[in-house]
Amino acid sequence: MTALPLWVRRPSGERVGWLRTVDHKEIGVLYIGMGVAFFAIGGLEALLLRAQLATPESRLVDPSTYDQAFTVHGVTMILLAVVPLLVGFANYLVPLMIGAPDVAYPRLNALSFWLSLVGGIVLYFSFLAGGAPDTGWFSYAPLAERSFAPGLGVDYYIVGLAVNGAGTIIGAINLTVTILLMRCPGMAISRVPLFVWMTLVTSILILGAYPALTAALVMLFVDRQLGGHFFDPAGGGQVVLWQHLFWFFGHPEVYIMVLPAMGMISEIIPVFSGKPIFGYRFVAGSSVAIAFLSFGVWAHHMFAVGLGDTENAIFAATSMLIAVPTGVKIFNWIATMVGGRIRLTTAMLFAVGFIAMFVIGGLSGVSLAVVPIDLAVTDSYYVVAHLHYVLFGGTMLGIFAGAYYWFPKMTGRLLDEGLGKLHFWATFAGFNLTFLPQHWLGAVGMPRRVFTYAASTGWGPLNLVSTIGAAILAVAMVIFAVNLVRSLRSGEVAGDDPWDGFTLEWATSSPPPAENFPTIPAVTGRRPLWDRKHPDQRDRA
Amino acid sequence: MQAYPPIVRPPAEAIGTLALIVGAIALLIFIGVEGALIYAVWRYRASRSSTEQPARFERNTRVEIAWTALPALVLALVFVLMLGAMAEIGGAGVEPGLRVRVVGHQWWWEFGYGAVTTANELHIPVETAVELDLTSTDVIHSFWVPELGGKSDMLPGTTNHLRLFARRAGVYEGQCSEFCGIEHAWMRIRVVAESQADFDRWLAAQGQSAAARGGDGERIFLANICVNCHTIRGTTAAGAAGPDLTHAGARATLGAGVLPNDVARMRAWIADPQQYKPGALMPRVPLSDPELDALAAYLVSLK
Amino acid sequence: MSASVAVGRGPSIAHDRVLLGVAVFIASESVFFLAIVLAYLAYRDAGLATAKANLDIPRTAIFSIALFSSSATMALAARHGSRSWLVATIALGAVFLAGQGSEYARLLASGIGPGRELFGTTFFTLTGLHGVHVLGGLVALFALLAAHIRRRSALRPVAFEAVGLYWHFVDAVWVVVFSVVYLGTLL
Repeated sequence: MTALPLWVRRPSGERVGWLRTVDHKEIGVLYIGMGVAFFAIGGLEALLLRAQLATPESRLVDPSTYDQAFTVHGVTMILLAVVPLLVGFANYLVPLMIGAPDVAYPRLNALSFWLSLVGGIVLYFSFLAGGAPDTGWFSYAPLAERSFAPGLGVDYYIVGLAVNGAGTIIGAINLTVTILLMRCPGMAISRVPLFVWMTLVTSILILGAYPALTAALVMLFVDRQLGGHFFDPAGGGQVVLWQHLFWFFGHPEVYIMVLPAMGMISEIIPVFSGKPIFGYRFVAGSSVAIAFLSFGVWAHHMFAVGLGDTENAIFAATSMLIAVPTGVKIFNWIATMVGGRIRLTTAMLFAVGFIAMFVIGGLSGVSLAVVPIDLAVTDSYYVVAHLHYVLFGGTMLGIFAGAYYWFPKMTGRLLDEGLGKLHFWATFAGFNLTFLPQHWLGAVGMPRRVFTYAASTGWGPLNLVSTIGAAILAVAMVIFAVNLVRSLRSGEVAGDDPWDGFTLEWATSSPPPAENFPTIPAVTGRRPLWDRKHPDQRDRA
Repeated sequence: MQAYPPIVRPPAEAIGTLALIVGAIALLIFIGVEGALIYAVWRYRASRSSTEQPARFERNTRVEIAWTALPALVLALVFVLMLGAMAEIGGAGVEPGLRVRVVGHQWWWEFGYGAVTTANELHIPVETAVELDLTSTDVIHSFWVPELGGKSDMLPGTTNHLRLFARRAGVYEGQCSEFCGIEHAWMRIRVVAESQADFDRWLAAQGQSAAARGGDGERIFLANICVNCHTIRGTTAAGAAGPDLTHAGARATLGAGVLPNDVARMRAWIADPQQYKPGALMPRVPLSDPELDALAAYLVSLK
Repeated sequence: MSASVAVGRGPSIAHDRVLLGVAVFIASESVFFLAIVLAYLAYRDAGLATAKANLDIPRTAIFSIALFSSSATMALAARHGSRSWLVATIALGAVFLAGQGSEYARLLASGIGPGRELFGTTFFTLTGLHGVHVLGGLVALFALLAAHIRRRSALRPVAFEAVGLYWHFVDAVWVVVFSVVYLGTLL
């Protein structure tokens, strides 16, 4: 038996075609499958980039291919890998965690997924249709205007992102309504698991941010296809308008990608510390603060644009301020571990790794909020390093933590812990080797998005180190893939509650049946399963 | 053109000091947080305390307020330091001693000193506050020479300003840092900082027109499509799409940094620019070998 | 799930899954229109002369009144579950779209299109996107009408409320667009 039929067959034994399913768990798995596939593709693109940069003045790939590769790598990882992975976990877990039989609109849920996937396919179809977009993931005008990007690549980018975004927006509506209206009896909003909290905040961020991207895409489309002048300086348009709209989406997008992963480790750390989360209200509340602030920081991507010192100082202040609620979370996670009884499973290792790496990304983020420092290192490899510490060191490690933690719930089998630890340490080493040196490269003058660099710059050795790190990272991903496939076939049978969990998803079978619970559960605290297992030591909250 | 004594530090130094302070604060926080994390994992690992029951505390409002307020205070300090540095690098109150017009093109730089136009190699006097007026004719570029100052984007339709200051004579390298298309990587900047006397001499030389040589090279240049894009002052060539070649031989590199400038490289570059800078807007001009020899010798002779 | 904990009459946004979903969707759409309106305003000065010379305020005001009144007929349709008020709403919406169409035809005939100058670009984008939303609303109204004709008994009152909510939103967006684009030329 191959791996796939295991998924198609429902726990009840019934077989359902993937195209027809409206079950939130199966759609969650579809999302995760999409994310994994695009993560692999985006990873291969990254390896191509690193191979080209390993030595100065390399001619391994031509500049046109390189530009397409880094553009598609960015779009793929952000919109087709990370977001679907997170939405997939949310789809699978939110109804289980709040004791609901499904999401609010199951059929709409299927539509969201298929739109997201079709958007990705449209983007990739550009490779067959004469060339992928090659203007960077934020596709600045006027480089993305027809006069400088005459091919169809940018048009595929516009349509692909708009369709993908429509799917994401519909998905966010679904999750928002699900969380607001479908909680089981006793599940007050102050009791929902933090992953659900973060999903709610993320969904609201999506609803506020993605429409700005759609609007920008429509304007770019009007410029390119109808001869419009939104971003055309010759016709009176302003090129910075694109940047304002894009980053009004783009910065909340960062939190869209980080908050759910924070939610994951907020579930994992308490369970493996044997303690309730420290400062539930602060962890939840700080997410709301981050969400609010994230709509007021976009121009920190534009300090070098020349907006003016006053504007820059204001956006610097808001950007620094957002570090405060972020720090609160980190302190709370560490305080959760203090006094606990820590089981260092692979899931917990990845969660701890998330904190360790995210701290670096957070600190370099603060340095980028400081205008003069930003003017020195913006658009350099320092930024590349920073964003990967946030999105790989943070989000992806969080997703791996979630994968090891919830895989048994989704499949009924445990992932192998031995391979898992190997996976963790190889990832940890490869990741830091790849991205740590890039801070220095950026500080001494290596701009991002260059297909090569002069030998005289002296950037060769650190680039080689970075490429070696990327190769190790690739090996780590292969280890994970092997673990996934092997465990799916012959992993240890998990049982309903392999981790001694706290939340409702562990109160049903692995994988859960259709409609999730035989009877709708009723809860009295934040850790319903703990309460059920320890009736004498119930949580008071 | 007179150099004014600087009242403020060079922008690069102001940025450097600020980065050092912020870096030190970040390092302290890094050590503190990572230390606490590692200690917590090590101290409370299950294998060490296999019999202990985990504690059950889950909140402490006072602690929460403390670790909300403390980082906010540290950030407020950073913010104040930042405001000071911003005023410094903007050149607050200091009149620039030299003003240079910089125009970004796909994929080369145009530098203008009043009526004098040159390309890819920016000459500045040392110990002088230099203000660049930056714009672009096509897409967004960004001017960045790390050792001399921060960076500024160059937007079509807008003029931005950036201060540079070199303490010591020498060559400073930089390059375009906003992705601007296929040859973004080969849009390098060479800044030559020199004494005021050397700078004045250089500028006077750049102001001269090229004397008509009447040789083969000149004739070939003027008879071909070269003149559509390039200017050689003193001749009929007055194109504006490509770099001004009046003093092409005086520059150290070709193709905005892609090749060193000598007769052999010049010849190879003209023979096939796309081989060295694929995607560059300079086409291959069909010329015979003797024509290439003469043309390359002529251009390099334009000092 | 028990959807409507009926307080007073009809389903409420705070408790009904469908209504809340539509409300959340509208909130998200508002950001979309806000971005487009802000872009229009950013370029308003550059296009003002063309706008003043070419926009026909009185005529468009009449068509706007058709759209505004359709909000009232929609409210009546929802309150009474009434087919005829629904038809009236559709008719008024169609009148508005026809008005938009004739305005476009007139502008295009005088050489003003999305590619002509900045005014054309912003005007056609903003009003066009609104028009698409009106069209979407008409499709929803037609679907509601069809369901009402086919199986009146199976139709939940919330369907009227949900379509109505969206229709009111489209109407409200036009209040903003009409003010900014048309009345704005009077300032």
